[in-house]
Amino acid sequence: MAKAETLLYLDGVSVSFDGFKALNNLSFLIGRNEMRAIIGPNGAGKTTMMDVITGKTRPDEGELRFDGKIDLTAHDEAEIAGFGIGRKFQKPTVFENQSVRDNLMLALKALRGPFATLFHRDDDAERSRIDTLLATIRLTARRDDLAGDLSHGQKQWLEIGMLLAQDPELLLIDEPAAGMTDAETAATADLLREISKTHSVVVVEHDMAFVRALGVKVTVLHEGSVLAEGSLDHVSNDRRVIDVYLGR
Amino acid sequence: MLTRTRRRSSALGALAVFLVLAVATVTFAGTAAAQSDDAALRTQLNALAAGDFDDTQRQINAIAEAGDPRAAPALEALADGDLYFRRADNAVFITRKDGSDYALRDPLTLEDAGTAGRREVKKIRVNNRLRRVIRTALGTLTLRAPDPAARIEAADAIFKAQDVDSIEPLEAALAAETNTDVARHMREARAAAVLASDLPTPDKLEAIATVAARGDRDARSLLTGISNGPDTALHEAANAAIAKVERVQGLWDTARNIWFGLSLGSVLLLAAIGLAITFGVMGVINMAHGEMVMLGAYTTFVVQSLFRTAAPEYFDYSLIVALPAAFLVAGLVGIAIERGIIRFLHDRPLETLLATWGVSLILQQTVRTIFGPTNREVGNPSFMSGAMEIGQLTITYNRLWIVVFALVVFTALLVAMKATRFGLYVRAVTQNRRMSASMGIRTPLVDALTFGLGSGIAGIAGVALSQIDNVSPNLGQSYIIDSFMVVVFGGVGNLWGTLLGAFTLGIANKFLEPVAGAVLAKILVLVFIILFIQKRPRGLFALKGRAVDA
Amino acid sequence: MTLRFLSGGLTGGRLVMLALLLASAILVPLLNLALPESHPLHVPTYAVTLMGKYLTYALLALALDLVWGYCGILSLGHAAFFALGGYAMGMYLMRQIGSRGVYGDPVLPDFMVFLNWDELPWYWYGFDAFSFAMLVALVAPAILAFVFGWFAFRSRVTGVYLSIITQAMTYALLLAFFRNDMGFGGNNGLTDFKDILGFDIQSDATRAGLFAASALALAAGLVLAVAITASKLGKVLIAVRDAESRTRFLGYRVEHYKLFVWTVSAMMAGLAGALYVPQVGIINPGEFAPANSIEAVIWVAVGGRGTLVGPIIGAVLVNFAKSWFTAALPEFWLFALGGLFVFVTLFLPTGIVGLARTATQRLRRMRKSEPDARNTGGSVTTEPRGQAAE
Repeated sequence: MAKAETLLYLDGVSVSFDGFKALNNLSFLIGRNEMRAIIGPNGAGKTTMMDVITGKTRPDEGELRFDGKIDLTAHDEAEIAGFGIGRKFQKPTVFENQSVRDNLMLALKALRGPFATLFHRDDDAERSRIDTLLATIRLTARRDDLAGDLSHGQKQWLEIGMLLAQDPELLLIDEPAAGMTDAETAATADLLREISKTHSVVVVEHDMAFVRALGVKVTVLHEGSVLAEGSLDHVSNDRRVIDVYLGR
Repeated sequence: MLTRTRRRSSALGALAVFLVLAVATVTFAGTAAAQSDDAALRTQLNALAAGDFDDTQRQINAIAEAGDPRAAPALEALADGDLYFRRADNAVFITRKDGSDYALRDPLTLEDAGTAGRREVKKIRVNNRLRRVIRTALGTLTLRAPDPAARIEAADAIFKAQDVDSIEPLEAALAAETNTDVARHMREARAAAVLASDLPTPDKLEAIATVAARGDRDARSLLTGISNGPDTALHEAANAAIAKVERVQGLWDTARNIWFGLSLGSVLLLAAIGLAITFGVMGVINMAHGEMVMLGAYTTFVVQSLFRTAAPEYFDYSLIVALPAAFLVAGLVGIAIERGIIRFLHDRPLETLLATWGVSLILQQTVRTIFGPTNREVGNPSFMSGAMEIGQLTITYNRLWIVVFALVVFTALLVAMKATRFGLYVRAVTQNRRMSASMGIRTPLVDALTFGLGSGIAGIAGVALSQIDNVSPNLGQSYIIDSFMVVVFGGVGNLWGTLLGAFTLGIANKFLEPVAGAVLAKILVLVFIILFIQKRPRGLFALKGRAVDA
Repeated sequence: MTLRFLSGGLTGGRLVMLALLLASAILVPLLNLALPESHPLHVPTYAVTLMGKYLTYALLALALDLVWGYCGILSLGHAAFFALGGYAMGMYLMRQIGSRGVYGDPVLPDFMVFLNWDELPWYWYGFDAFSFAMLVALVAPAILAFVFGWFAFRSRVTGVYLSIITQAMTYALLLAFFRNDMGFGGNNGLTDFKDILGFDIQSDATRAGLFAASALALAAGLVLAVAITASKLGKVLIAVRDAESRTRFLGYRVEHYKLFVWTVSAMMAGLAGALYVPQVGIINPGEFAPANSIEAVIWVAVGGRGTLVGPIIGAVLVNFAKSWFTAALPEFWLFALGGLFVFVTLFLPTGIVGLARTATQRLRRMRKSEPDARNTGGSVTTEPRGQAAE
């Protein structure tokens, strides 16, 4: 496999909390501009995997590389975000006391230092970028409302919008469809497919209909390591996957 | 040079006399009355009134010769200028000025002997020479005291004073001494006196060995005194002995630091252990925790006051009553705070901090209004008074009891949390409130009782701390920061961490104190904790995992 | 430059407060000095000094609001920065006494003569110059804050843990300044000041001048705080307060932001302390007491945190009440203060200003909803919500 095409590379990553192995020798690759769905039962290590990639949790052992050369284990959350890895949390986390517009403004790709932000002034380019994002996530009408006043689904969208505003190379998205109506879920799938044309995306999801709508390669996690990998049809016929997860 | 030496030795002499007298008075006051009057001794005492200074000196020496320790109070009074004789019959009395008259006491029985007008009695005059003679005589007398402890004190006083004149009485006393411990002290005293005398070098070398074997601070300062004398043989022997003494002392100093550290650690443990429940287990910041300790201390005061008025003969049992009382008082106040304030601030720790700080102000002022702003006297029961000696280590019983008590409270709490159904509920509620509620645990009740438990334990700590600290409305304030430091340092949510944290900080503090001084030691410990928390934000025993910072 | 930031933040109440401060900086000294004592509008000197003291407290409260209200850092150690600024000013004032001290030593302050010191310790050098002392009043708290914050924020000590160690910090300093060999006058602190910049510190004109300086400093502090909070940096601070790890995943170095606002806040507190000392005439280690820091927190809470104007109102109100109580009903003051802590946290979490804002917004919405009854959006309050969620 051509290494240049690999954006994210995990090899033999293990994490344990007080003896409990959250990740156990986990290895997989994400290619550039690839979208991947990750499924697995509760406690399979999905969120811990995201924590490890984004620098929130340090792995006990294993190799974690981004874009070929960057060793992710040596950096903290802010630096990793700076390399171009964006993350959406399972529970939508937006800045509730600030307007939708300000939420996007804070996420926009720009210098991140305190003095840069102290002397920051918004310009036309920034305003039009925010307008575009607002249109993408369908929140133009609510731009001046507090993010805390949005519905659950709208918050999910706003968080995805913030992710886009960062313009990362890799998006890690944890349960984007949770709490959404069917129509919203379908629209979210469309949005993610659109995003994946120019970005690498990792989606963690429980909703099988949603995963099917994404139509991408699926990785099944179980007890902290990869159980199966392939198309959704392929993995859902895998004996072991059925035993531990789909459970029929 | 000569005058300076003399002045020092006379100052030491005065100290020796003071110690001897203190012991003598205590020892004889009880026994003298019981014994029948000794006519011969009385005659000797009365003879003090007759003649000039030389005659008086002869009489003093005669009394010392006779060696009856009951003569000590009279001699003491003589030195102080309180010994008078009655003009009418030349009888001698110990007097105290009472208005324009004198209150008389019998010199032997020390019983009241009425009063006498200013003209009826006359003071027996003494001069400095006589005072010195009296001092020596008293030393001799107490070396024969019936109580071994008094004899040891007398010997130690001579040791400190290096009283050359005492060599002969000491040798005489040694010959008659049967108690080996007392004999050892006497030999040391004799050696000290020999070193100050002009006896030949071999005697002194032997004396150095005897003094060095004693191995304490006094021995060291005594040896230092001769280590720069003209005699090289003595000089070297003294230096070698000092080195030996210092080694021994180093070990004792370490032992002492550890003991003081354990003692301080147990105080910290007592103060912090309730906090380990409310803050450590429940995650509630109770800034009024110190005031719970204070309430416990005041409960002790109230209970003791009741005992003093109602049943003074059972005073020793007052603490046993105070313990449950303090637990109830502080526990109920704690439950009231939890029900009235804290439950409304659930998951808002910073607000809880502020509200409970307000409660602490109110509690302080309430106590100040009721009991006044000054310190209240809380007594030690008899089993907590006094001290025991292990080598050079003095262990006071109140400190010892507090160490034991702290460990007992800790163990009881540990058992309550690990082995009872209540403890199980507490752990369940703190780990997953919603799940516990849905399993039928009454979480509000558990919250209230847990907080009451933590507060009640703080109250119990107050009973213990009232034994060693001033009981004032500010009592709690002096413990609150230390308590939080202990819990945070030890690791939140872990009782063992609190134990280890308390003793580590206590011992560290006491080892730093001799080097840096008490205040700087405390500052250094605080700075250390501040830095430590940076390194391990969750303390020594931290819980790990995803749930922790969720 | 500054004006540009201000356009967004300096509105409504803040503008009124700023105008009020500037006006009082001129009017109060005028009413004190120009009018005869018999005149009904005459402001007596003791009142000028008292209000000047309140204004320095208000500046301290404003500094606290910047870190607590906007960045979620509840400092129980701001008294340390305040007292450090105060000591810097006190050292200048001590040097101004010159040979007028009790012992008449031209260089050494009385307490050093009393301790048999032969010469001035090196860290007292330069304090005969006002400009140097003022510089230290800002820089010393800044250095302490920077060093402390650098360790604390980098290792992500947050919430109550941070509050507790800030308290330990000021407590350690309290103990240190009590020591005689620290060279800051020990227990008694620094006092018996004679003059400041050549003016008699007791005179009416100096007192009025100090009041005006306090009012102007507070106004400048308010403008600075508005500029910071209205900038993008201010929005990042609120983001840190409400969802710290989210902010980090957006690529912001949260610790740098905290360090910035923490240090700025410490400098404001230091300036407040420097203005406080000449007006009360003494600085002693008691100013480091942790209780002082916590009392300052309640001023912020009463006025309304995260509002900038609120803390100023809160500081003045609470201290006015304190002056009244300690004169009229001294034994009830702690009951009142304690009750205030409980009441505000339970019933007035957004403070006076927050309450007023909610009320006016509700009123405005009621008016608006008369023609359009369907418009019933969510909450309109801007007070911090869900702070504990982090």
